[in-house]
Amino acid sequence: MKEIMRNVYLKDGNLFTKSRYGSHYGEKVLSGYREWIPWRSKLAAMILKGYRISFSGKEKLLYLGAASGTTVSHLADILDEGIIYAVEYAAKPFVKLLELAKERENIVPLLFDASKPQIYSGIVEKVDFIYQDISQRNQIEILEKNIDFFLKKEGSFLIMVKARSIDSTTSPSEVFKEVTRRIEEKFDLLATDSLEPYHRDHIFIYGKI
Amino acid sequence: MNWNLWFGKLEDNKLNVVDFHIAFQNAQNDSPLPFNLFEVGRSLFRDDRDYYKTLRKIAIKICEERVEKELKREDRYVVALVKALEEIEESKNLLSEKLDDIRGIVENELTKAFDDRIKYLDEMGKMIENEIERVMTKIAPNITELLGAKIAAKLLERAGSFEKLVKLPASKIQIMGAEKSLYKALSRIKKGQKAKVPKHGIIFVHPYIRQLPKSKRGKMARFLAAKIAIAAKIDYFRGELNESILEAVRKRYEELSR
Ligand SMILES: C[S@@+](CC[C@H](N)C(=O)[O-])C[C@H]1O[C@@H](n2cnc3c(N)ncnc32)[C@H](O)[C@@H]1O
Repeated sequence: MKEIMRNVYLKDGNLFTKSRYGSHYGEKVLSGYREWIPWRSKLAAMILKGYRISFSGKEKLLYLGAASGTTVSHLADILDEGIIYAVEYAAKPFVKLLELAKERENIVPLLFDASKPQIYSGIVEKVDFIYQDISQRNQIEILEKNIDFFLKKEGSFLIMVKARSIDSTTSPSEVFKEVTRRIEEKFDLLATDSLEPYHRDHIFIYGKI
Repeated sequence: MNWNLWFGKLEDNKLNVVDFHIAFQNAQNDSPLPFNLFEVGRSLFRDDRDYYKTLRKIAIKICEERVEKELKREDRYVVALVKALEEIEESKNLLSEKLDDIRGIVENELTKAFDDRIKYLDEMGKMIENEIERVMTKIAPNITELLGAKIAAKLLERAGSFEKLVKLPASKIQIMGAEKSLYKALSRIKKGQKAKVPKHGIIFVHPYIRQLPKSKRGKMARFLAAKIAIAAKIDYFRGELNESILEAVRKRYEELSR
């Protein structure tokens, strides 16, 4: 096992996070390591494609679109001395997210609409990182609002973009060009790439203020 | 400037601590806080860890309550089941009618095929009824207790959703379900055809109403409808069975049947 990021390991082309916990979404667990499945988690896909994010483990992170906590569970392994504010607005997946939050001390589960950060502005502190995966047409606008409310000046963000949810009538490459342009207008672009072959017509955009 | 925070209110730089459960639910602000929430709140707690431990506990508790409420949208499932059940019952009746017609003339393989189909629909209907019973007792124990799962579910279906049912006045609940046959009757009358105008809604099939003499049914229906309105609210907001409602309805029935 080779550590390629804090608490993230690579072995024979497979990704793992170091973890004291059991399986959350059906992933394999090998003596202290949980397999991180790139088809299930876009962040795993990005890392397997060679991109790295330098986490110290102490970060405060705001996660928008936590769903049932697949990716959140691995981030909780990575930020073992930090805090994750996990926002999700759908009740069904949230039930599973709650189970995760009950066993992990570093997850604060929040059943809120990410497009209205006002409503949780007195709950979430200033954070070092915003992660967004919400497949919504106005996801960039939602990101901007949350950055305004919560991201520290020196903070960074990572978003996952699905072409079809932004605009299903234009080609994915056109959509991605437009989205990237909008991000670059206001922020610094650190990296962007497709998530193929793990997630079709998806890209990630990694940036900072 | 005032700021609403999950542990209290910051008013002109003075922190007023409020019950955390209340404060958490009112932690709204129109603009970003010009300070770090954690820095302000930390002094209230033993240490950094305690801050997060408390916040997490409250978030879990409140969001768990909210999620349960949301999941009560299982009412949509009930609505779909009631619709399916009605379709099935209609097909069954139609087939039985046709079967009788045919049987009056011949008895052969074909009539057996009809028979099998009807039995099959019967079984499906029972399965759906069981499922309605299971879900209704979970999401609406009080109206289910009062009306039986099937009638209670029909009421929910006519209202459209649990939320809408809760907002209906008792007077509306009393006649609910009669609208459809009312329109049908009115349109027949318009066309110059004969029709009976219905006087009763769904709840009139309740034994406590049907077993009473005609002159007293109206009174019982009004009383029952009022209790249903209360029961529905308890189901929606708390979801726990309240025995006293059924008791009151039973007592009123006994009074009227004397
Ligand atoms: C693609 S899934 C996220 C998967 C998750 N990030 C993971 O990798 O484990 C998108 C989620 O975003 C949620 N979502 C969409 N719009 C939202 C909003 N405005 N506020 C909160 N959650 C939202 C959806 O309910 C859905 O669960």
